Amino acid sequence: MLHVYLGDKDGEIYNPPLYFLSQYEPDWIMDELSRKMIADVDRSDVISARVIDSPVLGPITPRELSGGVKTLILMAHDNSGKVFNASACGDNCAKWILKIAEQKELTITLHNIMDFGDGPFRIHILNTDETVTNMKEFTYTAIDYV
Amino acid sequence: MKGSYQIRIESKFLTYSFTVRRNITIIRGDSATGKTTLIAMLQAHQEDAESSGITVRCDRQCVVLTSARWEDNLASIHDSIVFIDEGGRFMRSEEFAAAVARSSNYYVLITREGLDNLPYSVDEIYGVRLSQQYAGLKKTYNELYHIYHPHRVDRREDEVIVEDSNSGYQFFRQVFQDLPCKSAGGKSNIAAIVKAASENKTVLIIADGAAFGCEMEHMDRLINSGADIILYLPESFEWLILHSGLLHDQNVRDILENPSEYIDSGEYVSWERFFAHILAAKTQGTWLAYSKSRLNTNYLDEKVRNQICRELPDVIR
Repeated sequence: MLHVYLGDKDGEIYNPPLYFLSQYEPDWIMDELSRKMIADVDRSDVISARVIDSPVLGPITPRELSGGVKTLILMAHDNSGKVFNASACGDNCAKWILKIAEQKELTITLHNIMDFGDGPFRIHILNTDETVTNMKEFTYTAIDYV
Repeated sequence: MKGSYQIRIESKFLTYSFTVRRNITIIRGDSATGKTTLIAMLQAHQEDAESSGITVRCDRQCVVLTSARWEDNLASIHDSIVFIDEGGRFMRSEEFAAAVARSSNYYVLITREGLDNLPYSVDEIYGVRLSQQYAGLKKTYNELYHIYHPHRVDRREDEVIVEDSNSGYQFFRQVFQDLPCKSAGGKSNIAAIVKAASENKTVLIIADGAAFGCEMEHMDRLINSGADIILYLPESFEWLILHSGLLHDQNVRDILENPSEYIDSGEYVSWERFFAHILAAKTQGTWLAYSKSRLNTNYLDEKVRNQICRELPDVIR
């Protein structure tokens, strides 16, 4: 289930791409879900835990992945209990956030109104303790907080 | 700083080319479009100039500002174009807004947040995309594109919400006297008013486009959620009056032709404040003497009103 806190939250990792640089584990990159997210969002192929083939930049390391994908990988694999700011992700990451939240209880913060698509979906808004099921409900709730 | 500036940032694999036209430019959009790479290239050039392998062509210095000691560092930057990557939480602070307001710099801010402390234009919110002009070449060329396209005013409204509570509202209340017309009392209240509006009503929102950028994501999401909104976003009410030709002033026409060349970012944090100043200065002591706080009733004279209204889109005129 996806739990969203709208706005500032004490202790949130506001800049997940920065956090990723010192906390990611090579195994996370080789994981099947990470490979799919990297292929979809960054249009890049994982060659090994330390090498990724980018169509624009050529061979890169995980440190040069997009901020959005770094944040998604943290959401999927970091089990420290940290809450990551999903506004580091563009709307093209939204479907992956929903997918990660199918597998685990995922809590994120948002500082903008992410487009989660046509839905239906189930997002628990921590500010109001309501569950929203489509973009209209999400928008009308989020507008009061971000 | 005045003027618009073309910027070209280039490596062997990648080129960015775009123009900044005002003191605040926002870049946002999907992940992996190259926003952070743009900052990384500028930062490499900042560290090692041409030795970095990156070329930066611009008539002004392009500088990357990071969170560390941002206030001290910004205090020493003048007449430059300052780039800030997302993750810089300080962009949302009152202190940063105050620094921008008294700054001779232009700012390019990468963020998906609204930044409601900063009065930026609806016309200066961009995404990054591959330039189709160079599609198919081995090297990648990136350009900026408008995230929010000009909104089409293509149908009649049932009610009107005016951002302004002073002269602008007094004018439009007269223009739309047959319809419910209310003041939002500020741009930050508009989304809540739209939320509360009846579902089967078409709401025309009139706001100053020059400073309405921070509300555009809200408006976009509301429209995509089915809210029946028409957005009319001229630069400002004062711009509308100046643009109507009421003043018969060649200097005003020259300014409107190319505002960037006349508006100093150190004096005016947004264009609507400049247009308000120009209108007040040009009409001082005349029968059209303008005050932002209370509308001179001569602006409600039928002939004057009609001339200003000719600037409105046909369908709501």
